[in-house]
Amino acid sequence: MAAILHIRDLTKQFGGLTAVDAVSFSVPEGGIVGLIGPNGAGKTTIFNLITGIYRPTSGSIEYRGKSIVGLEPFRIADMGITRTFQNIRLFKNLSVFDNVLTACHLSANYSFAEAILRLPRFRAQEKHLTAKAEELLGIMNLSDYRDLIANNLPYGLQRRLEIVRALALNPKLLLLDEPAAGMNPDETEQLMRLIVRIRDDFGLSVLVIEHHMDLIMGVCEHIVVLNFGEKIAEGSADEISKNAQVIEAYLGTSEEAVDA
Amino acid sequence: MDWTYIQGILMLAGINMIAVLGLSLLTGFTGLFSFGHAGFMAIGAYVGAWISASPASTPAGMGLPFILAIVGGGAAAGVVSYFIGRISLNLKGDYFCIATLGFGEAIRLIFNNVNRFGGARGWPGVPSNSSFLAILIADIVAVLFLANLVKSRHGRNMIAVREEELAAQIAGIDVFRSKMTSLVISAVYAGVAGVFFAHYMTFIQPKMFSLTKSTELTIIVIFGGLGSISGSVLGALVLTALPEVLRAFEIWRLVFYGAAVILIMVSRPKGLMGGLELTPSGIRKWTAERNALRQAKATLLAEDSGRKED
Amino acid sequence: MVQFLQQLINGLSIGSVYALMAVGYSLVYSIMNFSNFAHGGVIMLGAYFGFFGLTLLKLPFAVAFLLASFGTLLVAIIVERIAYKPLRERKAPFLYFIISAMGASILLENLVIATIGPTFRTYPEVFPKTPIELGPLAIGRLDLIIFVISAVSLSFLIFFIDKTKLGKAIQAASYNVKACALMGVNTDKVILTVFGLGGFLAGIAGVFFGMKYTVYPQIGNITTKSFIAAVFGGLGSLPGAVLGSVLLGIIETFVAGYLSSQFRDLIAFVILIAVLVLRPTGIMGKVTEDKA
Repeated sequence: MAAILHIRDLTKQFGGLTAVDAVSFSVPEGGIVGLIGPNGAGKTTIFNLITGIYRPTSGSIEYRGKSIVGLEPFRIADMGITRTFQNIRLFKNLSVFDNVLTACHLSANYSFAEAILRLPRFRAQEKHLTAKAEELLGIMNLSDYRDLIANNLPYGLQRRLEIVRALALNPKLLLLDEPAAGMNPDETEQLMRLIVRIRDDFGLSVLVIEHHMDLIMGVCEHIVVLNFGEKIAEGSADEISKNAQVIEAYLGTSEEAVDA
Repeated sequence: MDWTYIQGILMLAGINMIAVLGLSLLTGFTGLFSFGHAGFMAIGAYVGAWISASPASTPAGMGLPFILAIVGGGAAAGVVSYFIGRISLNLKGDYFCIATLGFGEAIRLIFNNVNRFGGARGWPGVPSNSSFLAILIADIVAVLFLANLVKSRHGRNMIAVREEELAAQIAGIDVFRSKMTSLVISAVYAGVAGVFFAHYMTFIQPKMFSLTKSTELTIIVIFGGLGSISGSVLGALVLTALPEVLRAFEIWRLVFYGAAVILIMVSRPKGLMGGLELTPSGIRKWTAERNALRQAKATLLAEDSGRKED
Repeated sequence: MVQFLQQLINGLSIGSVYALMAVGYSLVYSIMNFSNFAHGGVIMLGAYFGFFGLTLLKLPFAVAFLLASFGTLLVAIIVERIAYKPLRERKAPFLYFIISAMGASILLENLVIATIGPTFRTYPEVFPKTPIELGPLAIGRLDLIIFVISAVSLSFLIFFIDKTKLGKAIQAASYNVKACALMGVNTDKVILTVFGLGGFLAGIAGVFFGMKYTVYPQIGNITTKSFIAAVFGGLGSLPGAVLGSVLLGIIETFVAGYLSSQFRDLIAFVILIAVLVLRPTGIMGKVTEDKA
């Protein structure tokens, strides 16, 4: 399988601190890859580097064979990479529907003047956007909450809404940052099925950061393990669970891993 | 109170309304606070006066029609705001506010020193072109444009920037461009308001466009409610008319404004309308949100008690 | 050369008054991360307190001076309690603080216009106008006294911040307020102290400003320049505020002396814009990369 995302020798330093140290891995087209490691291992930093929020100190990030290093976050999103956040970042004061509708904007291209004068193209495209947002909410079982202000949604549904908002961009690569944080085993189970389903239905590739080992072992076809910014192992769930270095890294910081 | 008097107040309120609507886009919908919009009004006022004033007057103008003054004044403010935005929109935290304050004051001080435009003494003899009808039409156009804008993808992008900048970027929104568009449009509104103001007063002076004027505009937007067009319209009408009606208390007007702002910030930061619109669709939306909240609470409660019974 | 030195002295004198004002902005910014625009109003009240202390109450200068500085100390704290404390408790976004500050600034300025009136008032002559001759240089007595007292007050401030326990708490809070609160530092006390210190110096600055020029409700507009000085030096940094103020004072005096006095006010805003474009953190501010 061809790789949709290819990361080579990626390094990020903050002042004297090396948060990510020469990490290389790739995400195959249509694959679900897990990124695990103790707190502070540099997982979220890698997400920030891929999505263009940070600029790498060195190394390369190739998406579908093209370097995306140095591009602005919105351009990277435009190309088909999007993500969710560890500490949910919704448009809090907007309704559930408006959250999704806003993110659908890339599916329309009417101009400024057409909007202000409400010309036919504006009306037609807006109708299309509305339909698309409704459809996405339907697929993800959020239609009942359509008019609710996002901030008033229960926590688990906020996470789901963030995924819907990401899907509204028609992404090719979806980065999920601890999607199961704060969920009970039941909800985690649901989420696992959801991740596989959206991969299949939307033809996505997924890179997921998670501390819930059940989820990682259950859905990820390939797992990358980080510790102190360095990659210490990668392989299938089986290989990883038997890797001595991984076990040590996790036992050494087992309390943190449990807390998170 | 005769009609001419009331009309005069309404005209002033209508002129303020144009500037307030523009600032509402920037502050209420995009989440950027400006303390320099009086500067854009000043540019509109002076460029407008220059275009329409008679060549025989001092300072001399070009004697062109009023409509060109409106276009020219608005465009000039927009162009200046574009360059200001290039410099300041990337600034973090309250540095953008500080920058607008600096630019606003700098614009005023520059006009103070440009003798061609009358310097600190001001510019008398601006033609009295701001008719009641012209202001009314301008207000209607301003409201319609703004209402259509905020209901489009361009407007939604601005709102997204206000809500959560990082998430907006990740959702593929060019944050800088959204901010820039919002700033330029708001400056054009302020510029047009400046043109009407100059042609209403028939005399302009740099000190009319001081920091206090900028703050006043921001106060009206906050008073009306951030993210509400009807709030801005009501705010402009009430806060311009009230002190005129209560003439005896004119001197206390700004005391009241200052106290009101603190009170709003401390108690109800959403202002008068709190992001709601006084239109049929706005009210529908509001009731829908209320119902959704009630339903969601009921569902969760049911789920909760169901779980306990298990 | 004589003219140059003369200008330099004038610049230092006005620069030291700016410094008294600017540290007030910077102190608050270092802890609370917002520009306290109400500070201008507090300075203005200081000028009035001193003026009425001298004229209405016929107090000796030293007593009027203390009345003004303790008066503004009180006002600064009252403003904090009314306009900012509720926001702090609600953890409101920093923009609300600036808006509230603007509200407070307008309130103070117009309260004075409504009650005392908008007229300009001139301080009675406290120090004789005859300058001190120093070779070819003539140094105004007032300028000298302003410079000395300002320098002493600022040294006192720096001593307080560096040596006392409360001062150390302020320093710690300027790095990380949340961590300080967790470590058991009473942040409310720290904030009150910061406003108190800023208010106290504002009173001194107000009196000096009134003596050097005149007293009127819109002095706050001039104090905007001291805010610019604080930005120039780097918002949040005390040495930066002092350095920025002295530089601004000198630059202004030279521009007025050698170019045109009309440009004196404009140059401050030109500096502000240049700083924001080239180095928004100012001369001594910290450059940080924030984490997402």
